[in-house]
Formats: sequence, structure tokens, C-alpha cells
Amino acid sequence: MIVTVKLFGMLKAQLHNQSELKVPLEQGGRVDDLIAAIQAMNPEVGDLLLKRKILVSVNHEIAHGETELAGSDEIALLPPFSGGSWTPGRMPADVYR
Amino acid sequence: MSTVDTEAALVRVQRETFSIDEEIDRVRNRSTRIGGIATFLGTARDRSDDRDVSRITFEYYEGMAQKKLREIRERALQDFDVIEVLILHRYGEIDIGENIVLIVVGAMHRADAFKACKWCIDELKQITPIWKCEQTPDGQVWVEQHP
Repeated sequence: MIVTVKLFGMLKAQLHNQSELKVPLEQGGRVDDLIAAIQAMNPEVGDLLLKRKILVSVNHEIAHGETELAGSDEIALLPPFSGGSWTPGRMPADVYR
Repeated sequence: MSTVDTEAALVRVQRETFSIDEEIDRVRNRSTRIGGIATFLGTARDRSDDRDVSRITFEYYEGMAQKKLREIRERALQDFDVIEVLILHRYGEIDIGENIVLIVVGAMHRADAFKACKWCIDELKQITPIWKCEQTPDGQVWVEQHP
């Protein structure tokens, strides 16, 4: 299958202003396989993915390496947001109350 | 107005600027129980990391950004003692001094409104796929992080 991967921000600029990548994957491929495929295509971007400086979203949610992909999934590479990076253990609401 | 229409008006990503008074009224008119409204307005500044900035461009991930903003509003309504929350963010080219982002929180009491408002803007900056590109004398710089 071929998955389409949306690009944003500095990543788009880094990849010659392409707004998306087409990446061939085995049927049932996972996010980790996608990262490996991107690593082979562009080691610099692949390294940022491996270091989790760039995150992968699948259908508008941050995905883990084991997440299985389908050709119909909406996949994106997300460089650091302008307000900060995605931190799983971020401040819970009750700290503010 | 249906629930969907209401939510669409209270959570928006848009190119054009906005009237703060109109947005405050949108929250104020939701309930006569509201006794305090807290706002946060983010504006475009001309200095960043010791560089002059002449213009800012915001890019966002259509669909995911709105989803994350809706989640922030819903969690604020659930986790804080507040009555209504409005979250609005602009995209595209924004000149120095212009509005960028607005949070409006209505509550019975000011303390809850202030706390929820701060939480909403902090959370927005953490989880919403929005990217900022600053035009500087050295060229365009994609901003990764701001406190």
C-alpha cells in the first residue's frame, strides 16, 4: 500500500516545500515501519522522528510506533508546535485549581 | 442555535481578525449566571529571541487543530467551575500588533474564570498543531517553543 503523509511548518520547508509525501509500505505496516521508510528516504527527517522531535499523527491523534496503518488513514508528520512540544505528562487541570 | 452551531462559534480557527467585544458578548450571552469573564489575548510582537520580527505567519493542521481546541474547551468545562469557554486562533499572515489568539472564559466567580483561562492557553500551546513562522532580518524562522 501507499500512504500519504502530510507535512507542516519547518518540515515542509526542509523538504523543498512539498506538502505531502507518498510512502510505500507493506500491508499492515505500522508507524515504526513508516519511520524506517522515511529514514531511508531522508535520514535527517528520520533522525528527528526517531528522537521524537517530530511526531506522527494518525487520524488527528498522536500515534505510537505500534499503531497499524491503513491506506485510508490520514497521516501527518508534526514538527514542534509553536507553543512547545507535545509532552505526555503535561500539567493536569487539577494543578491549576 | 443547535449545540453543533454553538460549538462551531465558540471554537474557531480563522484567517480574519476578530472583535474582542463581540467575542466576549458571545460568552456573556450564554448565561445570566456568569459573574466574571476572564480573557487572554495573544498579539503579534516585533521582537523574538533577540531578533526583530516584521511579520508572523501561522500555519495549522486543518481538522486536527479544531479537534484539539474542541477537546480543550470540553475539558475546561468539565474540570473547572466555569460556565462557558471560547477559543479562537488566527492563521495566515499577521502584522505586528494584530490579534492572534483569544480565550474567553465565563464563570460565576473570577477565580475559576482566571484559572481556566490560564489552563486553556497553556494547553492550547502544548497540544494544538499550529506553527509560527517569524519574518526576521535574517530570513524566515520557524518557532519551536515559547514559554
